[in-house]
Amino acid sequence: MGNLIGKVALITGSGDGMGRAHAVLMASRGADIVVNDIRRDAAEETARMVKALGRKAHVVACDVADTAAVRALAAEGIGTMGKVDILVNNAGFGQRAQLPEIVEKDFDRMMAVHVKGSFFLTQALIPAMKERRYGKIINISSIWGMTGAPVASHYCAAKAALLGFTKAWAKELAPWNIHVNAVAPGGVRSGGPIKLDNPEILRAKEEKVPLKRYCEPVEISYAVAYLASPEADFVTGQVISPNGGDTIVGF
Amino acid sequence: MAEASNSLRGKVAWITGSGRGMGRAHALLMAERGADLVVHDVLKDEAAATVEAVRKLGRRCIVSHADVRDVGAVQGLVATAQKELGPIDILVNNAGVGQHRPFEDISEADFDLMFGVHVKGTFFCTQAAVPTMKERRSGKIVNISSIWAMTGAGINKASHYCAAKTAILGLTKAWAKELAPWNIMVNAVSPGGVLTEMPIKTQGWDMIREKEKRVPLGRWARPEEVSYAVAFLASGEADFISGQQISPNGGETIVGI
Repeated sequence: MGNLIGKVALITGSGDGMGRAHAVLMASRGADIVVNDIRRDAAEETARMVKALGRKAHVVACDVADTAAVRALAAEGIGTMGKVDILVNNAGFGQRAQLPEIVEKDFDRMMAVHVKGSFFLTQALIPAMKERRYGKIINISSIWGMTGAPVASHYCAAKAALLGFTKAWAKELAPWNIHVNAVAPGGVRSGGPIKLDNPEILRAKEEKVPLKRYCEPVEISYAVAYLASPEADFVTGQVISPNGGDTIVGF
Repeated sequence: MAEASNSLRGKVAWITGSGRGMGRAHALLMAERGADLVVHDVLKDEAAATVEAVRKLGRRCIVSHADVRDVGAVQGLVATAQKELGPIDILVNNAGVGQHRPFEDISEADFDLMFGVHVKGTFFCTQAAVPTMKERRSGKIVNISSIWAMTGAGINKASHYCAAKTAILGLTKAWAKELAPWNIMVNAVSPGGVLTEMPIKTQGWDMIREKEKRVPLGRWARPEEVSYAVAFLASGEADFISGQQISPNGGETIVGI
């Protein structure tokens, strides 16, 4: 399948987990990748994997919470690759904390990485997409952005904010043929849950999923790559939630 | 080269209402991706044209003209398909009828037709396909709903159609949970405006052009743009997706489904 041949994708947080899986799948479909991560080593490793597939990769290591750095990331991505067709706002992190434990620093960091980072990176890439009258933006939200959770309300709210951007940008950018969608994963066997939950807790959580399992990172990437492809040129403002069968109502 | 992750090679796909329009587009895309097909339409000439196109793509194919409301005929179709092609892996409940009528003008016959084809048809086609899916612990069901199931129809006035398409979302959510233990995934695709014969006939080009202006992307879809969503959900790429809905609608936001 080469339906991303000739495209350039910028993927934040693509140094490991789902972000790396998106980079590798999109490269295997023909895209060149701007790899961004706060950890340079991790980003370099993803870049090596992309190059092993015969595609170009360029690493820009930075913290997406840093607005100046994010603007430089957009400029360097376009400068090196000539354009950015696809932006995946994937950088993020989890924190299992309840309301009384979430201090101002936690709150600010959660919002800065997920919300502010996605906002200003998208803002920086939009002018060139508008000029070319083509672009694909995929925001990585979470099932918790729609259902909530008994922990991590700052995470739930940040992921819900990404759905707000998705709906608003889909309408605002439609006149320029820029498509904006969200992918809201359920349980994924990636770094986050493995670090945050012990194996028994993870197993118990899998039992509660209708399909009785968490998915591999690439199973999220398939949804991202579909939305990034010309096959989804009539799909905008929508959310795909690969979550193993949980119903989402009222988002 | 390894098989593409979206390949449907070796799969048998049954697509109701595949004689024309979106159903035919689904059949052709899935055949291109390797699936053998059960082409199913009450319209004989249209079904024959789809069969010919599928065979040209080198895929195996059988045809049925059963009315989806005829439970016995649908069960017979499944038995024949199993004998000729093998067990059904993918069912796309696509057969439908459109009708634009104000509430007061919808007769009992209109009502029964609408719910018979969309709801009863979807229900019993799926019931006929599920036993072998359960046995094999594998299956994909894609129900075709509509953006109107979520938004209502506004000036087009088709409350029976809207409600029938909403019922299909109810079936999707319930079956996703009920059939998950057998690894059967159930999802819906809810198209917005699509340039098929049905709206061209029932609404006319002037109304369609006017409506296209109100879509954020400024246009209606080609039928195959809906098929891409269907084929994605039918493939192994969507093995963790169940109980969900994709609405290729050009940018309308859906809230509260």
